[in-house]
Amino acid sequence: MSSRWNYGEPPEGAVPRPEPVSKRFSDQLIAVLPRLRRFAAGLTRSASEADDLVQAACERALAREHQFQEGTRFDSWMFRIVQTIWIDQLRARDIRKEDGDIAEERLGTDEPVRRVEARLALSEVRRAVSLLPPDQRATLMLVTVEGLSYKQAADVTGVPVGTIMSRLARARMALQQLLEAGVGERRSARDAEA
Amino acid sequence: MQKHSDEALVAYLDGELAADERAHVEAWIGADPEVRGRLLALAESASTLRTAFADFVTDPVPERLIAAARGETVSPTEAEIVVLRPRRETAAPPPAARWYIQLATAAGLFGLVVGVGAGYFGSGTLGPVKPTPAKQIQTASLNNWLDNAAGDFKLMVNAGDTLVDVPASGDNGDVLQKISQNLPQQVRLPDLKPWGLSFRGARLVVVEGRPAAQLVYTTDNKAIGPLALIIGSTKQPDIAPTFERRQDLNLLYWRHQGRASVLVGQSEIGYLWGIANDVAWQLDAI
Repeated sequence: MSSRWNYGEPPEGAVPRPEPVSKRFSDQLIAVLPRLRRFAAGLTRSASEADDLVQAACERALAREHQFQEGTRFDSWMFRIVQTIWIDQLRARDIRKEDGDIAEERLGTDEPVRRVEARLALSEVRRAVSLLPPDQRATLMLVTVEGLSYKQAADVTGVPVGTIMSRLARARMALQQLLEAGVGERRSARDAEA
Repeated sequence: MQKHSDEALVAYLDGELAADERAHVEAWIGADPEVRGRLLALAESASTLRTAFADFVTDPVPERLIAAARGETVSPTEAEIVVLRPRRETAAPPPAARWYIQLATAAGLFGLVVGVGAGYFGSGTLGPVKPTPAKQIQTASLNNWLDNAAGDFKLMVNAGDTLVDVPASGDNGDVLQKISQNLPQQVRLPDLKPWGLSFRGARLVVVEGRPAAQLVYTTDNKAIGPLALIIGSTKQPDIAPTFERRQDLNLLYWRHQGRASVLVGQSEIGYLWGIANDVAWQLDAI
């Protein structure tokens, strides 16, 4: 598959105002920001945390602009940067403690029963994703949400395609179980209220 | 074994299996109703997952991230979420009288073929003087293309569905087949539903002297639509996605591998870039 924006320099005269390479780089970066935010939102637990992660990724990408290879996928390169920073952040914290906190938070959560059903369902999906192990979370977001192929996801995460397959299968099955459990909890809450 | 089965099912849904593996999984699915149920549940959960994160690509991008992408810093008080605004660095808009000429030109173009850049040198939008006639023709051709795209869009907005040659139907494959009969290549329809854009139909227009398809999308979100995507074939060199303005319209255009594309609408530029990115990816990926 070809890259999205790396079409080479436009021919002289075809574009009224030729732009310097660094500006073109920034434009590419701006173009992928919505998808980077989405990917980061799947990795982190809040929108503000996701935006902090994307901002850090932008700063690192600009500092390493020279390392981007023309002709390769810019979005994959950026996903890799986001993921690398995120893993660094996880390592800086205590991963086990963080995951434990999430589980406790989930167990102790008392979702308002009267919330709009659809919005509740979507927030539950995001919460369910946050409960997955970090490697499964990243794989799930890259393949199922961002639409990368297994090979591209393997390139981004630096693992073999077979590992992507197994992580993805585990993530999908776990997500399904979490969602089914969430639906069950909601029904129980409704029944109790009735 | 169960793990292997799950992997095969998920990979099957993702289109990642080789032909022989796919046939094996299909035989398995056909023989076991329980597996069919799991497959359906997996497909539904994937769809739910994508929907759950859809807001992040349609919501406005925070200003601080735009600034970070440009290598600028924003003070905390400025770091509030704002809708992306189009850059105002383009040349001043052309005189109002010229707009009527463009509309008339666009109206006259419907169903016709116009020579590349012919008779368009009086537009006054050529920018800096180019030394060679070839470059002047190239630039005029580009301006002609964008002017026509803007004019076609205005016509479509003013006339509504009455101008759509082939309205959307339950089977959009049929719509594309009909519109493609008049084109040198099969048109593909990017799915822009994640942006809240609904496909309304297709029109035949002209791009660089060749018939092209104008795909019309609408939405209730005025920050995004209505929007038109014009796709045609071209022999011109590739151009990276480039932003332009025509009066109150924003345009993003690019040429890639013999295909000329332009997105046109009043959409916020941030959205336009995101949609163009999505379109380019889908057209290359499909």
